[in-house]
Amino acid sequence: MEATWLDGNGMAGLLTEVFGADITAVVRSCGSCGTAAPIGAHRAYRGAGVVLRCPGCEDVAIRIAQLPDRTVLEVRGAWVVELPRG
Amino acid sequence: MSALVARRALVWTVATVAEVVDETAHAVTIAFDVPDWPGHVAGQHVDVRLTAPDGYQAERSYSIASGPEDGRLALTVERIADGEVSPYLAGVLEAGDEIELRGPIGAHFSWRVEDGGPLLLVAGGSGLAPLMSMLRHRHARASEVDARLLVSARTLGELLYHRELEQLADGPGLAVHRTLTRERPDGWDGWDRRVDPAMLQAVGPAPEERPRVFVCGPTGFVEHVAETLVELGHDPGAVHAERFGPTGG
Repeated sequence: MEATWLDGNGMAGLLTEVFGADITAVVRSCGSCGTAAPIGAHRAYRGAGVVLRCPGCEDVAIRIAQLPDRTVLEVRGAWVVELPRG
Repeated sequence: MSALVARRALVWTVATVAEVVDETAHAVTIAFDVPDWPGHVAGQHVDVRLTAPDGYQAERSYSIASGPEDGRLALTVERIADGEVSPYLAGVLEAGDEIELRGPIGAHFSWRVEDGGPLLLVAGGSGLAPLMSMLRHRHARASEVDARLLVSARTLGELLYHRELEQLADGPGLAVHRTLTRERPDGWDGWDRRVDPAMLQAVGPAPEERPRVFVCGPTGFVEHVAETLVELGHDPGAVHAERFGPTGG
């Protein structure tokens, strides 16, 4: 069966819009199965918004919905993102 | 685990087409002049945005085919017959035209000479583009790091960068392997079947050598190759995948 997802890496543009940085190399540990994988290696599903899922167990890592006046973001699991200041 | 991430505003920029070159019957390479282009790392991509007169916008991601050391940013675009964006990029667009793009992006699927090797690159069709950027980078930096490339195409005529790859393969450290899945031309010395475990073992390097692996192509191809590599014993964390489609072309 043809897979229907893309890679988190392919969402780098949107993620950079939301986080102000390219976070595809950031490692996230799944709260459900413990898999540690870079955001770029998560599975990306596109619909009305974008959902990134854990490559190990498919649990939701992040949901992003872009509405006309705002972006809505839901983040799950253990992530640490360090952004330089200034 | 955490990592300091480079922060940079991602803005849409108007790029001007400098040149369009036919690669195959279905694919072109488009070279752009991009004002204030910050440079890229081999393997990264850009987002391309087209806007219709009525304001409708379509956005697609394309891997960068040029090497970081090349003078111009170049994308190789394969025309998908019923696609929304690719028939315009690979059919209508010509020198002097302007399109919007933003990038470079995609820190996960990228390689620098400093990252070291050995390298295993596996491409399906136009999935060769970002891997070609890596090989152009490797060549520009006169790197002799062990690199193996396996390219799968349907026919010889659909094999991208054929001549350039032969020239690169004359240099030290690079082995180029090809397989055609729909034909076997006279005198063909490559494989003529889909990528399978025996083929990947013949290409190497062995899992014990801990190669950095980059696989790019259509979703089904990448899924099959990545699964096979892991079954052969490669570290799943070292297998970087870039799938394209189904995005409507």
